[in-house]
Amino acid sequence: MNTINSYGPPGNLDDLDDTGLKAWSMFIGDSVDQAIKGPDPSQVLNDSPRSQFYDLTKTDTAADAQQATVTWTAFPRRIKVHSLSDIQRWQRADASRDVQDEYCEWSVTRDPASGKITKVMFTCEGPEYWNLLAQSDPAKVLQLYQTHISPDVKHGDLFGATGTYQPRNQWNDSTSHGAMHLIQANNTLGAEIELAAAATIVRNIDGTELTTDQDLIQCSRYGEPERNSDPHIGGAVNALARQKADIALADPVGLYFDDLKTDGWATPDGSDPKSYWTRRRGDESHPVRFVYEVPQDKGFTVGDITINGTPIQYGAQIADYITIRLSAVACRFGQSTTPPKTACLQVPTAPAGAAEAARHISSLPAHGYHAAPHPTSRTRRR
Amino acid sequence: MDGFRERRRATAWLLRDPGAGDSGDSARDPAVGAATRHAVLAAIGDPGSPVAGAATLYRYVSGIDQQARPLDAQELQELGDPMATVFFQQNKYPMTVQDLLAGLPQPTAAAPQSVHLISEAGQIPPGVDLPRDLRFAITRAVQGREVDLLISTGADSDPATTFLQVAAWDQAAGVFNYYMRISPAWVWAGNSWSALASGSRGNGCFDSHINGSVVMKELKLPWINWQSQAATIQLAPDDPLRGNPLYQQVIGGESLELTVRSLISRWTTARLAAVTRDGSVAQPDHLMRHLFTSTTVNLASSATQSSVITTSGGDLALPAGFWLNKDALLDDLALPVGSALPMAPAALYVAGLSAFGFHLEEKASGFSQPGDTFFAFVVPEAAYEDNDVVRQLVRQGVITAKFAACALMLDFTNPVFSPARAQLMAHVPSTPTAVTALQDQIVQAISQAAANLPGHSPERRFAADWALSDDSWPAVFAQRIDDYLGRVAKLISTSAGFDDYVRLAESRRRDFRAMRLNEFELTLPVTNIPPNAPGLQMLEDGTVAPRPSRPSPAPGGTPPSGPPSGKDPS
Repeated sequence: MNTINSYGPPGNLDDLDDTGLKAWSMFIGDSVDQAIKGPDPSQVLNDSPRSQFYDLTKTDTAADAQQATVTWTAFPRRIKVHSLSDIQRWQRADASRDVQDEYCEWSVTRDPASGKITKVMFTCEGPEYWNLLAQSDPAKVLQLYQTHISPDVKHGDLFGATGTYQPRNQWNDSTSHGAMHLIQANNTLGAEIELAAAATIVRNIDGTELTTDQDLIQCSRYGEPERNSDPHIGGAVNALARQKADIALADPVGLYFDDLKTDGWATPDGSDPKSYWTRRRGDESHPVRFVYEVPQDKGFTVGDITINGTPIQYGAQIADYITIRLSAVACRFGQSTTPPKTACLQVPTAPAGAAEAARHISSLPAHGYHAAPHPTSRTRRR
Repeated sequence: MDGFRERRRATAWLLRDPGAGDSGDSARDPAVGAATRHAVLAAIGDPGSPVAGAATLYRYVSGIDQQARPLDAQELQELGDPMATVFFQQNKYPMTVQDLLAGLPQPTAAAPQSVHLISEAGQIPPGVDLPRDLRFAITRAVQGREVDLLISTGADSDPATTFLQVAAWDQAAGVFNYYMRISPAWVWAGNSWSALASGSRGNGCFDSHINGSVVMKELKLPWINWQSQAATIQLAPDDPLRGNPLYQQVIGGESLELTVRSLISRWTTARLAAVTRDGSVAQPDHLMRHLFTSTTVNLASSATQSSVITTSGGDLALPAGFWLNKDALLDDLALPVGSALPMAPAALYVAGLSAFGFHLEEKASGFSQPGDTFFAFVVPEAAYEDNDVVRQLVRQGVITAKFAACALMLDFTNPVFSPARAQLMAHVPSTPTAVTALQDQIVQAISQAAANLPGHSPERRFAADWALSDDSWPAVFAQRIDDYLGRVAKLISTSAGFDDYVRLAESRRRDFRAMRLNEFELTLPVTNIPPNAPGLQMLEDGTVAPRPSRPSPAPGGTPPSGPPSGKDPS
């Protein structure tokens, strides 16, 4: 197998023209190259380079390549772990996009009279793609919002006075007025790339090879330990790295819906509850947008569907049954000569020279890390 | 004959006192399926013969059948599950899990095959010398879009000789049929109703399938012992399992949780429809024991890996089910509780590991390792199986939400193994009772008894709650829970308070160890608290005190507050 010529857009979407596609490929390539390089070793110790991570456009994928898929539940683990009851956690997760941090966000539409849910839209599209699309083709962005969110969306709702796209706009900043793409601070593609790269570093601390998801994320600090996604992605990637393989994110790089299980779901008319789960964006193998909605002529709504006898009253109940996935490619098993790091990530305490890194690290929130929704931002650190 | 051949290596049973009240298989041989195997081999004759017993489905319901016998043609034809229709009725008898899967229709996107992996030793470094007992749990939807076939089999041993067990849903009969391979034959070990029948309850495979449904003890995040999105079972780089096609299909336990919940609910629905069909319940005690006792439990833990908890770490969320039956009270009955989950200081947890001498131990192999289980603070909690029966009884109007709430609020600080709640079983009829009269009869019996009992008696406490108005009880109960959790939140931040909760957790773990559900020594941690320490209870002021009395384990290894035995109509 050879190199690929370019990185495709998430979900193989066809929104971008040739120029946009090239820009996107360049963004992913730059992000991957930066992630391979890692942070400046004078500012952050034991976190670079990531020589088992590679760029599909520059390095061959060998014949022994295996694809590894990592899946996780869309419902935010941090909310689940810290809630007393299901009702409490469903309410919390449905209350704000800022807590929907498993690379899946949703917005709920209810019937104004009955309050029953009529539609839930789910997205796992990273904000970087939309920033680039907005620069490349603002009219397309408006058209997509009008198609997927509301025909009432206006250009001014999405773009500021200077014409800059506002990822958090009135049609994409709530759990009730639409979800076009991810906006939660940590839900970025750049974050995914950085995490995957950092996770390729094998750690051998005091003679013990770190293997568990939590040991690795505590040592390598490549994400938020309390999420479903980050420790699991990191653990899976590191397991490949420990097999002395080289690893890349599969093209098209992105986060995708894996599945909606409907075990225990029941509809009033006995119809298949999964038939109301409709892919709206992304190709069949790489879906990035789904809507759960019952056609009007069926005579019932989402709120009439039950899960183990309990009616769906929150979008979060559906998120419990959704899995998100990321795919990596690993090859050259047993061939990597990169030695394990024998220490965990460290930030030197010396004020001079490390000021930038220290400022960066200290600016991170207690339960996460920022990856600004902009194509040039790709760093994520706790 | 290999003592463990075709059986699970249930190490905890090897240690059990034979006089402790176990019956059925374990009383005769301390491993799963031993009696069944002996009976079937006796029926087959010489298993070394190339034709002995081949192509035969035997019947052996442990506790009922004295000996195994082949199912006759009519019995075989009456089985409607996919195991029967795809294999046995076609005179096919797959001898390995691979043969079994190959004989099923090809999985599809709409009806996929899901493979899961579990091992109580799965997080112990692979280099350590102890049996890892890896098992596959495989689900398939054969006759429709819903899972109707579940396979359990050893993952790291010879497929031809490791245990191979199947639970298969018969849609027409509304039951799970339970099968196990005893080479060269297969055995029908009973169906869901067998779990409830007096002779077979707690025996054979119904020691763990205690209520007739499929079982996933570790049903919630972090799915302790299962490979999941929370933890990957550790394998050596050269472990031959890596090359096993089934291993390469393994997905997380988080997916199996959703399947198992739906399957338990499916059986509950079918069961309740059957037992209430003519407007009368033949044995109301069989239903009400799910409300008043712990017929079984699930195991819950914190979501945090014990070894990464440090004295300087953040607070630790202990499993909510340790504090109360939150699934029933807060979710199903929707009590408007406003409290947050009590959080334990990490430093107290770390100190407790040393102070109480936490370690893992498997006497069968001589393995020992300091520290807690991989995920911190494993405890038994109220079972989904019990809660689901209560939930559906309320939903169908057999009992009211208020009645369920009054029962569950009695001693609500002890969500499992409550002698106080179990005492109310004495007022539940065990003879045919009209569905419409059942709740009133129980309330009347409790109220009459309460009149002559002291104020702290379970009957008096129930009666006092029952006297609350229909408008007020949700708020009153919620306030009691809020008050209790508020006190817990304060006590748990003190060293003495936290240590008491450790002792309480260990007390409940001791109760779990008395159950047949406790199969593996490595399921729970061991502490320096004596095994014969008095049982403990949580009081409503958040303090821990000795439990007034501790009923002996019930026959069949059911929990201390376990149910009376009897037989449901089928």
